[in-house]
Amino acid sequence: MSDQQWQRVSPWALLYFIVHFALRFIKDGLLNLLPILVLFVTQVEQKLFWGQIAAAVASLVLVLYAFAYYRNFKYCITDGHEILLNKGVFKKERLTLKFARVQNVNIAEPFYFQPVNLVNCIFDAAGSSAQEAVIPGVKLSYAEQVREQVMAFKAQLQQQEQLPVEHSEATDKPKTLTISNAEIAKFGLMSNMAILALAALAPFMNMIFEYLEKTIINRLEAMLIEQAAFVGSAAAIAVLIMVVAIVLCAILLSVVMALVRFFNFQLYFQDDKFKRVAGLFERQQLSISVSKIQSVQIKQNIIARLLNRYTLICPQVSSGGVTAGVAAHKNKQTLVMPVITKEQVQAVCGWLFPWFVDLTELNFIKPERALLYKNTFLYVILPTVFSALIFNTLFDAATILWSIVVGLVLMIGVFLNFQKTGVALYQHDGRFFAVFKTGMLGVQYRVFEIYKAQSVTTISTYLMRRSQLKSLYIQLASGSVSMPYLKAELAEQLADFALYEIEGVERNWF
Amino acid sequence: MFSNQQIETLPKHQTIQFQPLADNAIWHVQLNWLLFYVPLMAVIIAVRHFNPAVSQAIATPWLLVLPLLVILSMIYNLYSVRAKGVAVREHDIAFKRGLIWQQTTLLPISRVQHTEIHRGPIERKLGLATLRLYSAGGMSADLHISGLTDEQCNDVRQFVQSYGDNALIPENELADE
Repeated sequence: MSDQQWQRVSPWALLYFIVHFALRFIKDGLLNLLPILVLFVTQVEQKLFWGQIAAAVASLVLVLYAFAYYRNFKYCITDGHEILLNKGVFKKERLTLKFARVQNVNIAEPFYFQPVNLVNCIFDAAGSSAQEAVIPGVKLSYAEQVREQVMAFKAQLQQQEQLPVEHSEATDKPKTLTISNAEIAKFGLMSNMAILALAALAPFMNMIFEYLEKTIINRLEAMLIEQAAFVGSAAAIAVLIMVVAIVLCAILLSVVMALVRFFNFQLYFQDDKFKRVAGLFERQQLSISVSKIQSVQIKQNIIARLLNRYTLICPQVSSGGVTAGVAAHKNKQTLVMPVITKEQVQAVCGWLFPWFVDLTELNFIKPERALLYKNTFLYVILPTVFSALIFNTLFDAATILWSIVVGLVLMIGVFLNFQKTGVALYQHDGRFFAVFKTGMLGVQYRVFEIYKAQSVTTISTYLMRRSQLKSLYIQLASGSVSMPYLKAELAEQLADFALYEIEGVERNWF
Repeated sequence: MFSNQQIETLPKHQTIQFQPLADNAIWHVQLNWLLFYVPLMAVIIAVRHFNPAVSQAIATPWLLVLPLLVILSMIYNLYSVRAKGVAVREHDIAFKRGLIWQQTTLLPISRVQHTEIHRGPIERKLGLATLRLYSAGGMSADLHISGLTDEQCNDVRQFVQSYGDNALIPENELADE
């Protein structure tokens, strides 16, 4: 591929631009228009009529803008190993992306491209403020050809720089992992998408409850009074039924969102590369090299524990402009295995780390007891006293006993958190790995090779210094890990060792 | 040649000799503080003077709390600036800060993606600058060191950039746009 001429994308790419800008408007623009929406709902008469007009105008503007964007969009793959994009309508942009900066080339097939066999070719340039460049509406063969071209160039670059290149034995058959859609539905129960769905509705909760009260709750209450002769508590039961219904809807929404994201999940591993194919409306191929993976998170929340499942997350380098942990997790370039069994966790982690053992068998260094005492004071005693004062002020002295219940529940949480905090180090073949564990009702492990860390911080308060204690924080390119309340000497040794690994190991960290 | 020598002692970051911030750094901090709180106090006093409801709510003795808070904050700033220190080692940059929560951050130079030097109007008057070192960890991983002289900032930046050249580690430049 040595075409230096500017090329246009297929006319079908117009569909991509329409969907892309519609989604951007919903994600970013709608929030900014919220005050206008509130005014519209509260002040405007004939809402349906004007709403239809507004929707029609918005749709027309969207299509026209997408068409103008499509007309201006051109791309070029140069002999100088660069991807050039000319795009923009009012603000013309020229994006130059060198092959060397591209982390991965991923291929996505949205449902609207399936009848015409076109895909989107996505260049991931992690570490750059323009993290992703997309050439929409190209043939699959072309996208794969470009991917091969970029990866071949990067492999050649690595050899020229004589950087130690990690090789594993080339395997004849790729290792595979398939997650059934029934399992994906379980992830909908496990994940916090239900809470996010509820949070998204939060600004409209008052309106929703007023509407529900008028239309459903009053009728439910009347029905309960009629059927079961409840008098005092019919209203409460009606509200309870409504709340349960809303929660069930949120869970259903979460299951649907999980299926949309991970439908027909397939994972392949060959030659130190993961390839993941999943998605309902957009079938996305994510390709990620093992060397790009910064850490591995193994999570099991309380629901996952009941279902005996785990979530495995392998983030890459996150975008520099956003909080690392959040960005990496939500980043589309993060490899997420949403719901797998313990055996599957062992298998996949074994592909990444040949030494991988059952993490529950590792000898974790625990924090000092002072952490338990501090958390008990801050998160048990203070809230218990505070709640006792509130109960006493608002109700009567007898209700102070409820604050003891609050205190007991908080104490259980603090104790479980203390028990589940720890750090373990593991050495294999001259390479050093760290495993950080946290949790309360669930548990979370983060495994990473120490030399991939970005920086190290130690923190101590006045009381900690008196007790010769320090907390250790290690920043990764995809989040951070922490170990509170270690003996100062141990924390300093760990910090020094981490720095020694970061500064001494010559291997490329990404 | 492959070697695997036993590590007898690791370089210890506790032995680092931290350099204090520039002499003028305390003036920068105090002036910034005053620039925020003096107008705020003036607004509160003005509102109290012109609004009878607020005047009744805020009794005169409470007005003494405001300047007292400012004085205490300025004393805190004095010790806080003294507690800060910077050190540049062969392979990393160390920055310590904090009075109640003492924090020492070590950022290996090989992990610095790019550097920036910022100079606000007060900093320019005082000959100071803020050095920002960005790593791949995102905002929480970046190191912002204010209270250095402009010359010191430029020296550190030069050192960081030359370390990258000498080590032949590919720099993570931003994609050209």
